[in-house]
Amino acid sequence: MLKTTPFHERTAALCASHAWRRWAGHIVASSYELTHEREYHVIRTAAALFDVSPLYKYLVRGRDAARLLDLIVTRNVLKAEVGQVLYTPWCDHAGKVIDDGTVARLDENLFRMTSAEPNLRWLQDNAAGLAVDIADVSESIAALSLQGPAAWSILQSLGAPPLKYFRMSSASLRGIPVQISRTGYTGDLGFEIWADRVQAVPLWDALMDAGRAYGIMPAGMLALDIARIEAGLMLIEVDYVPARKALIASQLSSPFELDLAWTVNLGKERFIGREALDAEKACGPQWQFVGIELEWNSLERLYAEVGLATRLPSAAWRMSVPLYADGEQAGYATSGGWSPLLKKYIALAHLRSQSAAVGTALEMEITVEHRRKRANATVVKKPFFDPPRKKA
Amino acid sequence: MTAYDVIIVGGGHNGLACAAYLARAGRKVLVLERRERVGGAAMSEEVFPGFRFSVFSYVVSLLRPEIIRELELARHGLHILPLESTLTPLANNDYLAQWADHDQNRRELARHSRRDAEAYDEFGLLLHRMARAVKPLLSTAPPDPASLDPRELLDLLRLGRYFRGLAEKDLHALWKLLTMSAADYLDEWFESEALKGTKSASGIIGTLLGPRSPGTAYVLLHHYMGELDGVFRAWGFAKGGNGSVSAAIAAAAQAHGAEIRTQAPVSKVLVSGGRARGVVLEGGEELHAACVVSGADPRRTFLGLVGEEHLPEDFVGSIRRYKFRGASAKVNLALGELPRFTCIPQNGPPHLNPIYRGAISISPSVDYLERAYDDAKYGEISRRPYMDIIIPSMLDPSMAPPGKHVMSIFVQYAPYHLNGGWSDARREQLGDTVIDTLSEYAPNLKGAILHRQVITPADIERIVGLSEGNIFQGELTLQQMFFLRPAPAWSRYRTPIHGLYQCGSGTHPGGGVMGASGRNAAFEVLGRRA
Amino acid sequence: MLQEDTPRGRTIGWVPPQLVRELALSALTIALPDPWLRVPLGDGGVLELWRDMARSVEAIGRVSARDAESWPRFCERMARLAQLLERLYVEAPPSLVDLRFAFRLRRLGRQGMEDLMRLLPMPVAELLDDWFESDVLKGALGAHAVRHLLQGPRSAGTAFRLLHYHAGSPAGVFRTPASNLARLLRARSAVAVREAKAARIVVRGGQASGVVLAGGEELRASLVVSAADPRRTLADLVEPGWLDPDLLRALRHIRSRGVAAKVALAFERAPDWKTLTLAPSLDYVERAYDDAKHRRVSAQPWLDLIADGKGAEVHLQYVPHEQAGDANIGALATKLLAPHAPPIAECKVLASPGNWPEGQPHQAELALDQALWMRPLPELAGYRTPIGGLWLCGQAMHPAVPGLAGYNCARAILRRA
Repeated sequence: MLKTTPFHERTAALCASHAWRRWAGHIVASSYELTHEREYHVIRTAAALFDVSPLYKYLVRGRDAARLLDLIVTRNVLKAEVGQVLYTPWCDHAGKVIDDGTVARLDENLFRMTSAEPNLRWLQDNAAGLAVDIADVSESIAALSLQGPAAWSILQSLGAPPLKYFRMSSASLRGIPVQISRTGYTGDLGFEIWADRVQAVPLWDALMDAGRAYGIMPAGMLALDIARIEAGLMLIEVDYVPARKALIASQLSSPFELDLAWTVNLGKERFIGREALDAEKACGPQWQFVGIELEWNSLERLYAEVGLATRLPSAAWRMSVPLYADGEQAGYATSGGWSPLLKKYIALAHLRSQSAAVGTALEMEITVEHRRKRANATVVKKPFFDPPRKKA
Repeated sequence: MTAYDVIIVGGGHNGLACAAYLARAGRKVLVLERRERVGGAAMSEEVFPGFRFSVFSYVVSLLRPEIIRELELARHGLHILPLESTLTPLANNDYLAQWADHDQNRRELARHSRRDAEAYDEFGLLLHRMARAVKPLLSTAPPDPASLDPRELLDLLRLGRYFRGLAEKDLHALWKLLTMSAADYLDEWFESEALKGTKSASGIIGTLLGPRSPGTAYVLLHHYMGELDGVFRAWGFAKGGNGSVSAAIAAAAQAHGAEIRTQAPVSKVLVSGGRARGVVLEGGEELHAACVVSGADPRRTFLGLVGEEHLPEDFVGSIRRYKFRGASAKVNLALGELPRFTCIPQNGPPHLNPIYRGAISISPSVDYLERAYDDAKYGEISRRPYMDIIIPSMLDPSMAPPGKHVMSIFVQYAPYHLNGGWSDARREQLGDTVIDTLSEYAPNLKGAILHRQVITPADIERIVGLSEGNIFQGELTLQQMFFLRPAPAWSRYRTPIHGLYQCGSGTHPGGGVMGASGRNAAFEVLGRRA
Repeated sequence: MLQEDTPRGRTIGWVPPQLVRELALSALTIALPDPWLRVPLGDGGVLELWRDMARSVEAIGRVSARDAESWPRFCERMARLAQLLERLYVEAPPSLVDLRFAFRLRRLGRQGMEDLMRLLPMPVAELLDDWFESDVLKGALGAHAVRHLLQGPRSAGTAFRLLHYHAGSPAGVFRTPASNLARLLRARSAVAVREAKAARIVVRGGQASGVVLAGGEELRASLVVSAADPRRTLADLVEPGWLDPDLLRALRHIRSRGVAAKVALAFERAPDWKTLTLAPSLDYVERAYDDAKHRRVSAQPWLDLIADGKGAEVHLQYVPHEQAGDANIGALATKLLAPHAPPIAECKVLASPGNWPEGQPHQAELALDQALWMRPLPELAGYRTPIGGLWLCGQAMHPAVPGLAGYNCARAILRRA
């Protein structure tokens, strides 16, 4: 039996589509309505409420808490201020990415780490000899993500304090003690709200109630998937294989190869994977993780040739699709789809470094009426969508 | 008198597989089986009216997928049903279940240890890599490392090159698996006693060794071997019992023209001038062939059918030293109702509970198994034995009358060399020990038993002809594996007698209802590479 | 050289001729009792094995004519295999995929190779059962093979240990001698010895740059060589973050369980013999192991004694390390010795030296999965560590013979310099 989240009582009642998806052993709504379209548009026009409780969450406490996390992740945790949240990957000794997530400094000696995969063993094993206490709070903390232009107004109406981008703070929403971070997975103005699981249902009710005036809607994973691609955010096991699950060397990725060079702080004397990353930086990564855009005319022509109107994917896809440059395979796209906002067919892709510069002309494999074709595409800058309100 | 190209002694699954491959290659093949039916230890029988049992071997774990493909066993009636979960009942009415579904499995493991739940995937990945490294060796005739023969040297080089092609890290991991005890190996990964107990149990099956005995880690690999092949999962139950495996292979052999004679016990291999000429049946009938392949174990083949007078002294010494030491027994039960394991939450009717369609393992901890071994090491039946249980009627309802069930209990340890020897009384004592132990977990069991069949290693030897009742035709220990199985320099299915080959589990890779020995032997006889 | 412990008197182990030659150890003295093995028989007699093959054969003949006949052949076969180990022990461990190693194996010839392949993974009990029938002979030899190992003679891989302890000895002697090697080396003027405990190995930029002592003093050096066990060296003395977490995990899993107690005793009068082994049969030793396996002191341990005048040192196995301080152990030794030795005046259980993790003198148990290219871990088998300038030379390193890891390590360092 799969687990349900602390919000299940509410989400199940709202899930008209009965479409559920697995996430870390839990079920969460794929979409609440029969199609996910309105849920997507709510992210960009009002506020969408996501149940993100299945995330793995750890509390790291103690004198050496900052030291431990600084050893593990690629960013500088020692310099993080209380109330700051860091998005960061972490690597094995060979500098290959194990997982990515956030590290929030709740207090001088208290951190919360979130991750996509379980990491308790990794944290514990690396904590040998350090004065830290690590608690797996994945089950006891419920989490919601409120994303969209109206997100701040809703929280404000509930009495939340103002927050800068990637900052967090404790608050009380209608008497419910929560922590709010200005973070999210949509590339929009948005917040994540963390509370004890016993408070889950009242918290959901408070947000839905306060949000009514602002057009709040619960949204599922299908809508989120489109938003995160527009935001250029990668997804573990879709866009990269975590190092612990790789069967062969070619499945491994370094942060440089995932466009996360900005997270790798080689100024730190020591962290796991440092030597390997130092070496890789010196000679440059072999791969790049980029955004690509399909050329509409080329797509239209391919369909027109067989007498059809252009067909677009109805939801974001997750599979490996070959990409070509100058006729040779230069890489592969790992997730993509139609952006209803940008009116563009976009995808996230891995390309060999020599073919990865913005503006490079590519071809992407596409199946048109049972036949494999190649549509023209171009490497573009990520994120595809980056509204000023995200950081404002 | 008909002349045959090849006579195969023994219609076990390996003998039949060998026959099928030889017949497929156009040889005129005769299989001689002592009993009234083929299958050897892979045999199904209606032991009690209406109740069918896979009497001896009871699961399909490692049957080579290439055999299923090449002999078209599905067409000949083989249907393997998956056995996907394992339940380990524990004291205090708790349990550990292992599931095929990743999320379900992780959740259950995390209930016992979160660390173990995380380690489990990494462990699986490593063993998957190791199994991949070892897999090609299963269908290879092991070269003789001391040989000067150019063909063997070539094979040796090929083998060397293969190993050098593996990452050194993987070789070291393989070395660890070969030399460590299952308990020590698992201690490096897990902390939950129930998980370690159940995992280590796969390392002791068929062998008079405990989980703390070095050399038992290797068999952990076998559980991952099946997954690689994409044909079926590691464990399955053949519809109709393992007799169906033999029947399907026999049908394939016959379809290719092989002749099978049952109730034809062979008493001697005819040898003259260092060459095999045929066989003599117990009735005195002589059958001639240029090539004789023995599916019997090495001891019976060489010290029984051939006779040491025809063999070099060194070789006879090796065969004498070859260890059997059977330690496994079997209890087959006909049940009026399903046993109810009190540790399982009883939500819904038991016959819909998936746990009854999987294996049930009485292996609550490594210490439990080790203590069971301690008894056997000094010649006693384990006071609290390890058991691997399945309920075939839950997978294939035709095994029992409607509403009734059959239960197959594999038991260790019941040493062949029992103090005072095996007798009817000791056999019943073994049966009682098994039922008493099991009743602690499923109190309704005693009342549910309609019939009981207890098979000791001595019975296995007597009925099936496996020396000392060893289910693998000889222990699968490092000094009896690969190019040392069954004897150094004679690991390639050949023997010191020209024209006499071996195809039983006593040759590489041996063990279980795998069929690889039979297939590899056929290719050796044909002088081809598998 | 930092000396963290009070040095022990004698060094137990083979001293290869290379070492004697290259370090000009003319004052080396080697001590091995003759007979090297003395086992009481049930009927009041003793079985004595001598350096002299003929005397041993004669002695065994009194127990079993068949065994006496087998003895010289057995010794010859074992000596051949031990020679291979002797060559492997004075150099860094071979790589598993080293072709030269493969060729060296083939040079053993068919019989040697077959013996080696069969013997390495074998339980010593099976090897001895193949050759002999006498329980006393098998029990004593089997006991010596499992010395300092948490395994019994029926455990696979223990036959290898019989060879290990045989390496360097003449055919027919399966016991390592004692020498004054360490004392001679310590007395060298070129080596400055300082008694102090290391608290930390200083690493800067991935390079070892010295050692901080327990008092806080920092000693600088571009090379640091540690004879402490690898876990202490790398996991405790080096600050976290320098090493691959997977390597640290592996270090934590090196097995180093102590299994023996050492008892010093004084007899009321000097016995008229030098050694005594009480291990009457393989089953006796195996049952002693069963207790230890379940974390108990053996009810009937096997023991081995070396006498020096009135004094004696007793090796008592199995005693799980956690129970090594058990006060009853002295009484147990006294009780077991009573029928075979002069009355005991005084008896004291000795603590194991500080650099024996968990009381294990080999630092890493000498089992097949922790021997040769696997010792103590494949990543460390070449004496180097991933930290530049930090080397390992303790007993946990190949070949687990005192002095030889140091010898091999020094040569590896010099070759790189």
